[in-house]
Amino acid sequence: MASDKIAVIGDRDTVTGFQMAGVRMCTVSRSQEVTRSTLIDYFRNPDVGLIIITESLAKEVEDTILEISEAPIPVILLVPDRTGTTGAYEKLLRELVRRAVGIDIKI
Amino acid sequence: MSKILPGTKTTRMELLLLKNRKRLAERGHDLLKEKRDSLIMEFFNAIAEIKEARQEVESTLRDAFSALTQAKMIMGASRVAEFASSSKTSVNLSISTRSMMGVRVPIMSAEQNTPEIPYSLLDSSAKLDTMASKFQIALKAIVRLAEIESTVKRLALEIERTKRRVSALETVVIPRLEATTRFVKLALEEREREDFFRIKMIRDLIT
Repeated sequence: MASDKIAVIGDRDTVTGFQMAGVRMCTVSRSQEVTRSTLIDYFRNPDVGLIIITESLAKEVEDTILEISEAPIPVILLVPDRTGTTGAYEKLLRELVRRAVGIDIKI
Repeated sequence: MSKILPGTKTTRMELLLLKNRKRLAERGHDLLKEKRDSLIMEFFNAIAEIKEARQEVESTLRDAFSALTQAKMIMGASRVAEFASSSKTSVNLSISTRSMMGVRVPIMSAEQNTPEIPYSLLDSSAKLDTMASKFQIALKAIVRLAEIESTVKRLALEIERTKRRVSALETVVIPRLEATTRFVKLALEEREREDFFRIKMIRDLIT
């Protein structure tokens, strides 16, 4: 399959770490606009199968993420950054559960 | 009272056809209901799995970041970044799909290939190696989480769709078919009574 690349958007430490693990498509983002445009760039790139974005950056572009996570590929995944998890991901998951089952369930 | 299907002729043939259609709709309804229930079961299993995978990602990443900090303390931040961007390790994602209750869910795995010497060994510290391997472990956990998460997302979408179909059959299609069947039946009965009466009239005329 064509989409076999992993992309990372994050702060400098996250990007450095994932580069050590072999991820080649990395972007250090400092502003909301950069994050958004990079996210859309990676999303449009057919080679990308997985986009990893840190939770703190994801919070700033939540609407874009919600919009583009409708598509099956690429998968967008929020990971905690150096400071630990912020719980942004719980919110996304709860929304999914609410839509699927019809009621809010504590998970 | 639901609407009667437009363009229905009140004939016996039509009544039979309607009955068949109703039976088909009811069977479809039952099947879809079963599908929805088992999808929801799968969904909750996947949710439980996701929680576990999430914790795994968090703990491995925490480890990896502390190793990164150590490497930075020894080598300096810019040197670590330099090594990272020139590292020769590469990772490839392989995605295939499998079918789960008719939903295509992805199976992802990361293939990491680390060359013998990914970066200059002379001026890198051992901490850099630890950090690299820790991030590789974290990446594996992340890919697993991504697989489960996209499974959950697709299951959720499919559940939504199935629910809509079930309720459409339940509240629109089946009542409408029932109403039409009743209408045709009543019309046929009415005609039968008319015929009966007509025959009686003719008999009276003849005698």
